[in-house]
Amino acid sequence: MENLLYVWAGLEFNFSTLPQQLVNGLITGAIYALIALGYTMVYGVLRLINFAHGEVFMLGGYVALFVSWGFGFSPEALQKNPDAQSSALILVIMILVAMAACALIGAIIEYFAYRPMRNQSRIAALITAIGVSLFLQYAGQIFLPNSPPPSIAQQVNPYQENLKFDLISAPKETRDAYTAAKTESDNLKQQFETALNGRSQFDDTLTDAEKALGTQAQEAQNKVSALEGEIAQKSVGVTITVGKLIMLVTVIVLMLILRFLVMATPAGRAMRAVSHDFESASLMGINVNKVITFTFMLGSALAGAGAMMLVTFEGTAIHPFFGLQLGVKAFVAAVLGGIGNIPGAVLGGFLMGLAETLVVWAGYSNYKDAVAFVILIVVLLLKPGGILGSSKVEKV
Amino acid sequence: MKKLGFWNAGLIVLALGSLALMAGCKPKDGGGESTGSTGSSSSTSGETASGDKINIGLIASINGDLRPWGSDCRDGAMLAVEEINAAGGIDGKMINLIVEDSNSKPEDGKTAAQKLASSDVVGLVGEVASGITMQIKSVALEAGLPLVAVGATNPDITKNSDGKVFRVCYTDDFQGPVMAKFAFQALGKKRAAIMTDNKQPYSQELSKKFMAFFKSLGGEIVTEEFYESGQNQFTGQITNIKSKAPDVIFLSGYFTEVGPIARQIRQQGLNVPLLGGDGWDSKELVTSGGDAIIGGYFCNHYNNKEDRPEVQNFLTKWNEKYGGEPATTMGALGYDAVMLMIDGIKRGGTDKAKIAEALNNTEGFAGVSGVINLKDHNGDPPKRALVVEVTQDGQKFAKAYEPDEVFN
Amino acid sequence: MGKFWTVRIASVVAALAGCFIFQTVATNLGNDYYLRLFLLAGLYVTLSVSLNLINGITGQFSIGHAAFYMIGAYTAGILTRAYYEQQPLLPELWLVIMMLAGGLFAALAGLLVGLPSLRLKGDYLAIVTLGFGEIIRIVATNQQSVGGSYGFSFGPKVVAPWMVCLLAIITIAICRNLLKSAHGLPFLAVREDEIAASAMGVNVTKTKVAAFVLGSALAGAAGAILALNEGYLNPDIFKMDVSFLILTMVVLGGTGSITGSALAAIFLFLTIEIPRNIQTADGQKVQITLASLLMAGLAIAIAISLLRKIKDHFHGPPNQRLIRNLGVIGGSIAGAIVLSMILNATTVMGDKTFEFDKLRMVILSIMLLVVMLLRPQGVLAHHEFSWDFVKRLFRKDHDDKAEVAS
Repeated sequence: MENLLYVWAGLEFNFSTLPQQLVNGLITGAIYALIALGYTMVYGVLRLINFAHGEVFMLGGYVALFVSWGFGFSPEALQKNPDAQSSALILVIMILVAMAACALIGAIIEYFAYRPMRNQSRIAALITAIGVSLFLQYAGQIFLPNSPPPSIAQQVNPYQENLKFDLISAPKETRDAYTAAKTESDNLKQQFETALNGRSQFDDTLTDAEKALGTQAQEAQNKVSALEGEIAQKSVGVTITVGKLIMLVTVIVLMLILRFLVMATPAGRAMRAVSHDFESASLMGINVNKVITFTFMLGSALAGAGAMMLVTFEGTAIHPFFGLQLGVKAFVAAVLGGIGNIPGAVLGGFLMGLAETLVVWAGYSNYKDAVAFVILIVVLLLKPGGILGSSKVEKV
Repeated sequence: MKKLGFWNAGLIVLALGSLALMAGCKPKDGGGESTGSTGSSSSTSGETASGDKINIGLIASINGDLRPWGSDCRDGAMLAVEEINAAGGIDGKMINLIVEDSNSKPEDGKTAAQKLASSDVVGLVGEVASGITMQIKSVALEAGLPLVAVGATNPDITKNSDGKVFRVCYTDDFQGPVMAKFAFQALGKKRAAIMTDNKQPYSQELSKKFMAFFKSLGGEIVTEEFYESGQNQFTGQITNIKSKAPDVIFLSGYFTEVGPIARQIRQQGLNVPLLGGDGWDSKELVTSGGDAIIGGYFCNHYNNKEDRPEVQNFLTKWNEKYGGEPATTMGALGYDAVMLMIDGIKRGGTDKAKIAEALNNTEGFAGVSGVINLKDHNGDPPKRALVVEVTQDGQKFAKAYEPDEVFN
Repeated sequence: MGKFWTVRIASVVAALAGCFIFQTVATNLGNDYYLRLFLLAGLYVTLSVSLNLINGITGQFSIGHAAFYMIGAYTAGILTRAYYEQQPLLPELWLVIMMLAGGLFAALAGLLVGLPSLRLKGDYLAIVTLGFGEIIRIVATNQQSVGGSYGFSFGPKVVAPWMVCLLAIITIAICRNLLKSAHGLPFLAVREDEIAASAMGVNVTKTKVAAFVLGSALAGAAGAILALNEGYLNPDIFKMDVSFLILTMVVLGGTGSITGSALAAIFLFLTIEIPRNIQTADGQKVQITLASLLMAGLAIAIAISLLRKIKDHFHGPPNQRLIRNLGVIGGSIAGAIVLSMILNATTVMGDKTFEFDKLRMVILSIMLLVVMLLRPQGVLAHHEFSWDFVKRLFRKDHDDKAEVAS
């Protein structure tokens, strides 16, 4: 296997990591897509950019946190009982409660803030949305635990083991060398720890022989790291934790459920009708208010699910500004796919996730956030309605 | 069109104004969130006229994304003031701490500082971040006020400062090299990868200094990857790092992202030691990082198991007032900054220039975060840095670096 | 010299006199804090009126105005750092040059952003402007030559309140004259209906780009003033929420109303600052109890719903309407005070206190929601200040007054 690293114009294309990066991008994109769906559905029925959607997402994270605390995973409870065991049931309860709570929050926001604005100018509705978003952020800062930002204890997540899929394995001699080095390193580490006998490895009382042993152990460890890197360079494969795989599957399942709801149920049909033509839909006897509430609840529930999975499987810390950045990114994804278009949001989300990861892959992680916007601008210039969106010609 | 919407809106404004009145109708003292001076000065308010108070201004990020550090800094500062006032103040004069919010923004920080400078404060304390401190510094210099920065580690803060700007933390010029030296010599690592939080000046500067010193020791920096605080997916950067085969990874950001990063590093099967700066210090680090972060090392100002009386006194008092331990290192630094300012007032009186002079002559001030000497150091105290290891129940002391032993 | 020239010269004299008064007042306050409030409020007036030119008058949906502000500021900062030392001029003159430079670069950026607006409409344009702001901020964060995220300092500092005032007046004058003259008609036509406008021979492309260029240039000049006033710049100063704040000012004042934008800028800016200054008699921070806080929230919610009811269903004479409104507001305030006094006695709600100061941003957001829910077209809607209005305000006939205010 020759070296898979190509350097061109300052960009590094390391093809041995490409599959891994694609998987990373897919997972990032899945979360974007899930949140983007909320933006796009609300936009579809109301033509409103729901800036508070990121904050609904943030509250979903908090709900998941509180549920996990209720199951004995709060820092205080863990101090008393550090071996608390989690289970799939707890995770299912967490995600369902987060989804239900977010759906409720979405409906409340819609009823109190957006419904009165329905016949007003769109920019006024937008400012209301910004107002709700600011209110939730800053009121959250007063009433929610955020100093320091809490995170869900990692014990909640029982699915932490790694799955490895090798597409091209490293040469046998490298792997053998690695195994040998690893055994030697573990051996030396063991010896050193026995010699230390509870003392710190930086203790002044170490004898020269012990210090030498320590250095030897360190060198062995460095050798293992170097071989690990060599394997990483020479092999092509994907490592993913079970938790993330579950996350990806859940997102896809949720999307399929959404598709079923929208395409095959009366409520979904009503939603599509309202999205197509607000006025005619109401003339045809559709209760527009109900449909809009339903849309908000659906979108918010998806955000709740996304938030729960993010804080559980990634361990992200939750604070009142937690939804802001992700919200903006997801919104960009929705616009990229064509806002108001449900498959578009999914496509946009995955594309954004992949694009960001590929920029990182090429060695420009410092421009990761900017690239999303650059792509957006380029796409919009070529196709003003987004990738799947239609840019209708305005009628006179 | 006979609407009175114009007046309606006006009336609402009045209604909101009444919020303030309602608050005023029962001003409470004590309670969880009140300022430290309220509790203590109200008990003595009978005998102390306003002229008998010494005002110190504190600018802290009470709102906005630096809140975890800002609110700890304020709590620590209030603790210091309470302690001094309980002991009778300075020559019978009570200390009055005026806290202003910077909203985590340089602009607002400057406004807050200007407000304080326009009232009769004798000195300013703050901020936890370098960018905001820079703005406060310009106000302090114009008003001739001494400024004690709390957590601003950027070396530029004390440059061109007329001997008026001080800090209680060490600079990135020191912290970065300490960790580089620790990685290279104590751990014997030769190939380091760095992850920098590009949004935080603190992190950018720390990475730069670590990188420079690690290279000068003979080590190799295999790659530097960036993220921005607020992001939650770091897998792309980690995959890149993994392919470069480092011996050690230096994470220069704050604990909010370090926990998830550590987890994602281990999830990709990368088992090298993790190192960081004082931004790691938080009780949340282990909750969010879990097993992944345990065994990592970071540079800290003090260690909660140290038996120095200052440390134990501080931790006991904190536990009595707020319960538990400070969430971030800014609790101790805020406390030290105010104590240092009070020490300056004790030695220099209430004249601004005299306080600055007294602060410049500080020798052997025993703070929680270590001994502070400011004489002939242009506001940057050479302080001892502790490298601590992250363990399941907090931190374990690993190695101490005295200021003069790092660079030789 | 007819009336035309008399009015022109009188206006210019009045503007200069205004600047002089502003300068005198601002520098004689003897308080740097108030001086700073004056300066920042003045800059926000410029920013909101210039955004109003794009959003309100031309009807283009731009929500990334902070980007142009930032470009102006960074241009001034970089040029000052690079050239001032070699070419020390009178600081005020340098400020003027920097304003021109900042305005020029911001205008170029405005041209760049304005061009996509030829193809994009509404929300799509909005997200592009927002994205542009983020891109600029990230680029600055990654440039070590301007200090990265830490920022950079430069000298000299020029504090010129009169210039802030003058820029605000110039901005207002440009927008006002556009609206009142034939040059402004294309802008209004584009706002109302692009297709009809182009059918009537308006060059829609040129008009849109002109609005962007002009609006951005003014914001850039404001940025240059900010830069030289601070002597230090950092990307954090120009975060997304600054854009939102400016946009909020425009909408709150009434989209399209110059007077509205200007007043809302001052008002919103002060809303953020005033809670800082509310203190008890002995200079302590005001503490607000949990009970008071919740009751105040409840009172506002109830008052809003009742006021909306009155607005929608009461069609009686305006003074009766006013009495009803007053009744609702008075009633809810009184109710909230009584209830909170009762609840304050309980330990659960009465002993937990918050500093009023901390609620600054919450108050801002509530204010925003209240105004939007009760008067979605903005406080002044599309009305402008005019001498006729003042004249009528002082006439005894109250019905007339109500009509103008509506």
